[in-house]
Amino acid sequence: MSKSKNVLIVGVLLLIVGVLLLMYRLQADNGADPKVTTLGSVEVTAKLEEIRDTFPPNNLYDYVYILKYRVLQTHRGKVDGDTILVGHYNPLKPRAEAADARSGQIGGNLKKFSAGDVHRMALETPLDDYYMGPIINKYHGQDAGPLYWVVWTNRVVR
Amino acid sequence: MGRGIMLYGFSLLGLVASLAAGAGPTTNPDPQVTALAKEVHDKGWIAYGARSPKGDWDLFLCRPDGSDVRNITNTPDFSEAAPRFSPDGKQMLYRRLPRDAKISHDLWGFQGELVMANPDGTAPVVLGKDGEYPWASWAPDGKQIVCLTKKGIQVVDLATKKVVREMPRKGMYQQPFWSLDGKWFCGVSNFLGEQWTVARMSVDTGEINAVNSFQNCTPDWFCDSKRVIFSHRPKGQEGKGWTQLWMADGDGKNRKLVYGEDGLHIYGGATSPDDKYVLFTTSPGDGGGSEKDGAPIHVIRLADAPMITGVSKDLRKLHPGTKGGPVLDLPVGWEPHWTYADVKAAK
Repeated sequence: MSKSKNVLIVGVLLLIVGVLLLMYRLQADNGADPKVTTLGSVEVTAKLEEIRDTFPPNNLYDYVYILKYRVLQTHRGKVDGDTILVGHYNPLKPRAEAADARSGQIGGNLKKFSAGDVHRMALETPLDDYYMGPIINKYHGQDAGPLYWVVWTNRVVR
Repeated sequence: MGRGIMLYGFSLLGLVASLAAGAGPTTNPDPQVTALAKEVHDKGWIAYGARSPKGDWDLFLCRPDGSDVRNITNTPDFSEAAPRFSPDGKQMLYRRLPRDAKISHDLWGFQGELVMANPDGTAPVVLGKDGEYPWASWAPDGKQIVCLTKKGIQVVDLATKKVVREMPRKGMYQQPFWSLDGKWFCGVSNFLGEQWTVARMSVDTGEINAVNSFQNCTPDWFCDSKRVIFSHRPKGQEGKGWTQLWMADGDGKNRKLVYGEDGLHIYGGATSPDDKYVLFTTSPGDGGGSEKDGAPIHVIRLADAPMITGVSKDLRKLHPGTKGGPVLDLPVGWEPHWTYADVKAAK
């Protein structure tokens, strides 16, 4: 194989890698938007560790479901520890459709909760100061940390 | 389109049935029922919300046997809901909403404006703006109200409208009621990780305990201030299960069934001012019917409880020692309340 052919192949390969990198960068999304970066008093990027049990139906009774996150980055405010418990209102609904008279302003671009996903969230604490209603907390008695109320939840693509 | 017409037809049928029920007590030849009707006829008045012929919700009064029904608000531009007599029966609190607002069985405590009126509905005074005084209910002396806000429990003086006391709500989120002896609140709470727990809170210390955990709501005090009546949907039923009426001491002891029927959800439990009779609604759909046209209201003797009606095979298996007794059918409505006061309601 001639030297010029080798150069051509390497060039093509580099071009492919470059295009893939560019596509990846275009897809990546750090979740920042004017809402998540301004609402609430705390802002984090965090990984949803697990969803304990399944979300119950919400056809008649709305609720907050407590989920456990590992904090990857704190953008604003302060959180206690690497792991936090946060309350999402009506988690069966896309965040953009979850707000109602009881919740007040909440939202975001997240459509569905899946364990292992990363979310950028604007938070308030304590949860009871921002929400008055049923709370499903599968971590009760296992974690003494504060419960956070999620105001805004955006999907993060890394 | 066809489905819409059918739904409309069913709604119309429901409305007609509701109006028919509102016209007076149903004819029931059962001598036990007739005897109970006679026994309670002069024992004060029941207030409740129901659909008016114009389609909005108004407040009604009737005798405890279902007779002498009268509309006490007559406000086609508004809907009224959840009437509650003051302990002395001289006043009434309720919520007033825009005519077309859907009354949420779950959120009604902070829907619309809080109104105080005479027990016959005259002289209504709007106490606050939309959503103000959430979940307001009477203090034992009728001079204050207790409200439940996100920030905590608030006691509000009615004369000055000032908050005279605030305390942490400790997870309580719905329907706070103050016992007549002034010592306790009850309400629906998140407690020890369990939502929909009926809890009792000491007014003095704020200490809270569970009256009953797992799937409870609409608690209310017996007039003895020692026992609580509430709706409860026990575990172990097929599917989602049915909601029954239960009672327990304030410390959670002596839990027992009051009334149930498989196929019906029992809500709106309240006792008569002498705790001898029990008032409740029976709804085939969950939620008590506020989003639609309400549900039939009934009266039984507490002495006849625990009582199971209908076939109710599963429920009878669980409670083999139940008694029988007459059940009075009152008009269709929602969130009924009872006073023995002599309400001079205009006909």
